Amino acid sequence: MNPKRLLSITRAGIMESLHFRLGIFVTLFANLIYLVLVYYLWKAIYDSSGTDVVNGMTFSDTMIYLILATALFNFLEMFVVWDMSRSIQSGKIVLDLLKPMRFRKYTFWSYTGNHVVQFVLTFIPTFIVVMIVTRGAIPLGLNLVWFLIATVLALIINYNIEMMVAPICLFTESTWGINIVKETIVLLLSGASIPLAFFPEKARMIVQYLPFRAVYDIPLSILLGKSGSDTWQGLVSLFGLQLIWLVVLTVCGNLFWNCAVKKVTVNGG
Amino acid sequence: MRKRGLKFYAGMYRKILVQDLKSKMSYRADFIISTFGMIMTNLSGFVTFMILFHNFPEINGWDYHHMLFLYGFSLVALTPVQCFFDNNWNLRFMVQSGDFIKYCFRPVNVFFYFISEVFDVKGLGQLAFGIGTIVYAWIKIGIPVTPLVILKLLVFLLTASLFMIALMNFAAATCFWIKGSGYVMVIMFRFKDFAKYPSSIFEGIFKIIFTFIIPIAFIAYYPSLVILTPDNVPLLSWISPLYGLVFVYLSYKFWMLGVRKYDFTGS
Repeated sequence: MNPKRLLSITRAGIMESLHFRLGIFVTLFANLIYLVLVYYLWKAIYDSSGTDVVNGMTFSDTMIYLILATALFNFLEMFVVWDMSRSIQSGKIVLDLLKPMRFRKYTFWSYTGNHVVQFVLTFIPTFIVVMIVTRGAIPLGLNLVWFLIATVLALIINYNIEMMVAPICLFTESTWGINIVKETIVLLLSGASIPLAFFPEKARMIVQYLPFRAVYDIPLSILLGKSGSDTWQGLVSLFGLQLIWLVVLTVCGNLFWNCAVKKVTVNGG
Repeated sequence: MRKRGLKFYAGMYRKILVQDLKSKMSYRADFIISTFGMIMTNLSGFVTFMILFHNFPEINGWDYHHMLFLYGFSLVALTPVQCFFDNNWNLRFMVQSGDFIKYCFRPVNVFFYFISEVFDVKGLGQLAFGIGTIVYAWIKIGIPVTPLVILKLLVFLLTASLFMIALMNFAAATCFWIKGSGYVMVIMFRFKDFAKYPSSIFEGIFKIIFTFIIPIAFIAYYPSLVILTPDNVPLLSWISPLYGLVFVYLSYKFWMLGVRKYDFTGS
């Protein structure tokens, strides 16, 4: 497929999300308040614990981790499940399926515009605020490059998780329920609500190999130089885990979608 | 138009509720999955809580059982907003698509009609979860059970529930002015997760903000102090019922202001 054509879909997505400028600023502002809440909670927790380092995480490590997890959450959030169920209800999905491009591919690229806007307008400002507040607790170097690569991989993995979940709505006619189950599992097991480093040993052993970790925990660990990502060996194994899940989920998602799309034609007819 | 009386509105609420339940029952799979999803969110909140206490034995002088009480209290206090005010989540779609206009053409209060349209059954699972947690923590702390304490508990649970209702009304009504304001509701809904921590963790200006402007502290902390420390109840706990009513009234006015604004732009 011609990359120029794909990028034109991205550009349309950028223009579409820029239409909601005020919404983005509200998001940013709401995020800042949320960050204040996270800050006070963890400050109180660390003050009561009496030690500076818990499970290899200092207070500022935890803060950076959670703040950037929230920012990543905004950036990675896709409403595939909602959009798909709405376009099935209205029948719009037929138009998308008729496009001279594979549906999964088209959907992915039409979201990229929103990702670009969110990255520039919410993630980067948050990142700068964190840099200033923590006075350079984030090491700046090659890890930024690795972080960007890991984030792109996380984006694709996240999209594949969404695309695995969205067709389930076709069978169950339940959007809210499916979506909340997905979101809860992803947020908990990916370390977005509480860093994975705090999990009890046995739970961590299992969670470590699940795909959810590849979405939030791996990019953030790489950024902070945790989980052995400061050595080449550790870095390779983290990227390896991401790549394996990427391939597995893409293949499964494709198969699943191909089955589900037959069901769509029945419903939409 | 307003002078219809409580009886009229109660009767109508019952009728709309029955219709809503009937239509929900026709999507049985959705009902089961949604209930399961609700249980999952509560479990995940609980797991987060357990992991936290696995690493830190106490937070700001609050031990495990007191925190558990606060947690259960917040869950119960958040049930009314979940059960009765769930339609607020649909507001922005209705406003954007123009479907909202149908509510303006009925000879009843717009807010009442809009809100009464949906009753969320799955909130009851959260209620059960919350009550269980409160009872467990209650026994472990060893609070005496007297009719007076129970009465206080009920009154202050109701009080606490007012604040989240008001917050969600405010958040939902922003969509009358701001396009794409869905995230305001999402983040407000996430704020509630902080209600289960003692608000003594806040300092300075943020203590004031989170007490009076975004009253997270009132969702569980201040009302529950009436039960937890009966000898040393701060003044804010006692005035919380009054403040809650004022806050709900303000949110209602804000919501209705949005409706009037909507009339002008009407599609």
